[in-house]
Amino acid sequence: MTTQHASLPKKRAFLVDVERCIGCFTCAMACKNYYHQETGVVWRQLYPLDEAIYPHRERAFYSLACNHCENPACLNACPVKAYEKREDGVVVHHQDRCIGCGNCIRSCPYGAPRYNPVLKKAEKCSLCHERLDAGEQPACVQSCPVRALRLSCPEHPAW
Amino acid sequence: MSNRTGTTGKTGPNGPGGIPSRGAPSCSMSRRSFLKGLIASGALATLPCGLLLPRNASAAPFSKSDFQIFRNACPRNCYDTCSMVTYVRDGVVKFVEGAPESTFTAGGLCVKGYSYPRRVYSPDRIKYPMVQDGRGSGNWRRVSWDEAMERIARKLLEIKEKDGNLLGLALTKYSGNFGITNYGVEGMMSSLGYTTRLVGTPCWPAGIDAQNYDLGDMWCNDPEDMEKSRYIIIWGANPAWCSVHSMKYVYAARDRGAKIVVIDPVLTQTAAKGDVAWQPETGSDGALALGMARHVLDLGLVDRDFVANNAVGFEEFAAYLRGNVTVEWAAEKSGIPADDIRHVAEEFATAKPATIWIGYGMQRHVNGGASVRAIDALVAMTGNVGKVGGGARYGHLQTWGFNYHAMIQKAPAGSTGFTGKSGPKGEFDVTAGSAAPAAYTDRALNINKTAQELLDAQNPPVRVLWSSCKNPFAQDFDRNKMLRAFEKLEMVVSVEQFFTETVRHSDIVLPVTTLFEEWTVNASYWHYWVSLNEQAIAPLHEAKSNIEIAALLSRHMNRLSPGSCTYPQDIDTKEWMEKEFNKGVYDLLGISHWQDLRKGPAKAKLASSASWSDRTFKTPSGKYEFRSDLCASHGHKASSPTWTGWRSSRRNPSST
Repeated sequence: MTTQHASLPKKRAFLVDVERCIGCFTCAMACKNYYHQETGVVWRQLYPLDEAIYPHRERAFYSLACNHCENPACLNACPVKAYEKREDGVVVHHQDRCIGCGNCIRSCPYGAPRYNPVLKKAEKCSLCHERLDAGEQPACVQSCPVRALRLSCPEHPAW
Repeated sequence: MSNRTGTTGKTGPNGPGGIPSRGAPSCSMSRRSFLKGLIASGALATLPCGLLLPRNASAAPFSKSDFQIFRNACPRNCYDTCSMVTYVRDGVVKFVEGAPESTFTAGGLCVKGYSYPRRVYSPDRIKYPMVQDGRGSGNWRRVSWDEAMERIARKLLEIKEKDGNLLGLALTKYSGNFGITNYGVEGMMSSLGYTTRLVGTPCWPAGIDAQNYDLGDMWCNDPEDMEKSRYIIIWGANPAWCSVHSMKYVYAARDRGAKIVVIDPVLTQTAAKGDVAWQPETGSDGALALGMARHVLDLGLVDRDFVANNAVGFEEFAAYLRGNVTVEWAAEKSGIPADDIRHVAEEFATAKPATIWIGYGMQRHVNGGASVRAIDALVAMTGNVGKVGGGARYGHLQTWGFNYHAMIQKAPAGSTGFTGKSGPKGEFDVTAGSAAPAAYTDRALNINKTAQELLDAQNPPVRVLWSSCKNPFAQDFDRNKMLRAFEKLEMVVSVEQFFTETVRHSDIVLPVTTLFEEWTVNASYWHYWVSLNEQAIAPLHEAKSNIEIAALLSRHMNRLSPGSCTYPQDIDTKEWMEKEFNKGVYDLLGISHWQDLRKGPAKAKLASSASWSDRTFKTPSGKYEFRSDLCASHGHKASSPTWTGWRSSRRNPSST
């Protein structure tokens, strides 16, 4: 898979197979292992579904980072065009352009952009586009021991 | 989800990992100005962790050529023993990942493995040797390695003088670092003379005995062949938490139509993923397995060819089942409805191949070894032993045939020691039977009764305790008794990375290396991959590896009393790693030199993914032994698997 990226479908997205997910937090830690975000700044997190939401004894989880939306609220809300949607669907935040206004943080329905209190700017999951461009998988996708978290293509769900 | 304002960053710029970085072009500028800020705020002490600079998402393109890439291996006592790849730049571990060459690790680690770069640079690491003035007082002060080792050496010589031997020195060590060269700690003890060892295993010995009686050895199928199973019973194991890399094979089997049954008193994460989850009464596993075996017998689903030609004692076992076991009896003991037991037993017996993964919990009870034997019997009587995708999977040590060069050291000439009955051995005691009978031995104390044994030891009492790769206060029984046992000790030395509870109750702590800071080699007791562990970075602070610590102690012992320690006084961890390899290991792995492992981990060349595929067993009869005379001769009440009820206890009024 790592050498075929040029032939991959255009749009990329995360696919989370909740039935396979064992709630091991590896994806979240793999992200931190790779990017070493500031304390409290989380790009990918694993959320256990507590009993109030999911009233079964079986535990269930969902792993969430940036969804790289088709119509990104962050991009639309940004006053300085710090966000870019690449042709392959990856929503990139150019932190050098960010003024830290917080519009994206308030707009995103998934809580993906986070505030970096050190740089006083927003930041979020990049889908590891620099790794994708080098033919590698995103750190979290590569880490998942049960292949519950995969790279997929909304246009080609079977892929 | 709530972190939407700028006020929630807990530690700000001076916290661990708190050095910001911009894109590559401006990196040095912003870092320099930030360092100034750090000096001004007096926070420079947090720098080691700060070496892990945050990576900007829109940073320069990723290229492996920007890094030095090393091979490492996770040293934990874990089924998965992950093969790791470590990316280093400017002498700093930037990130780690799973080795893609291993089909088991398959490119990913677990949540703990991915935290290692933060562990090695943690500001909480023990940085240099320290002495605590008053155990438990917290009055630690930094000392030099020379001062620490001289203090220890003088104490050892003092007790040797007083007692006429070194049995007053005891070692407590277990599985905190499974790198093979770490058996050099035992070697250090041997090189000083005959000492006291806390030995045996708190982990899995009853099950090992059980498999030795039944099969002649503990030898499990390759876990990767579980995907070929048609029926998987995960019995007392929780791979969703404890062997995350095995779950993909369980899922693969299910994708191909297999049923997954999880048996555990606790509704575990694995149970949540199973098709059937049973929560039997704790310690009733043997009864449950025997009930299933009885039903298989009644249905005539026994593999007659196997029990007639490849096994001994099946008729006696069958007679025991008919005379003593019913499904209703098993249901009463286990709390699992009889119809459910019948249903799963029949499905298990008719699915080919079917397998049972036997966890380590059940054998830590009364009937423990017999419970494992009962499950072995269920797997064997249904013809699933020796089959790809079958097997009674417990563990194996097939890939552990190293030289144990670091461990096997000679006592100094003229040493005297223990002359009584020798105690238990550890599971990795490869020296058993190889050495000529000695006039003296080490004194063995039972590791499972550490506190009591330390209190009871006499002539001489244990005066000095050396703790490495272990945290007795967290891992051994009876903390209050342990406190009393420690009060008796004249000196406690801990070799550690962090200030654990045991360090708190020590006089001297010595900083030990992490996996990134030394050379060694690691094998698994579950899968069949062997991984090289390269030194990826120079040891931080003043940390030394266990074998370097032994060498330094030897230097001080010999300076104070020439000839008092045989351990080499200068050690290169890479050379000592090399000394662990032999032709047997090379042949098993299909490599010609350890250097081949720099290209990636190697997997044992197996005749079949199934253990016992030729149905030649290592038992005295050469067959599978439903009846083991060896078991009976070792003092166990029955030669066949039985279940005799719980131990009576006031806390368990339902016990029989």
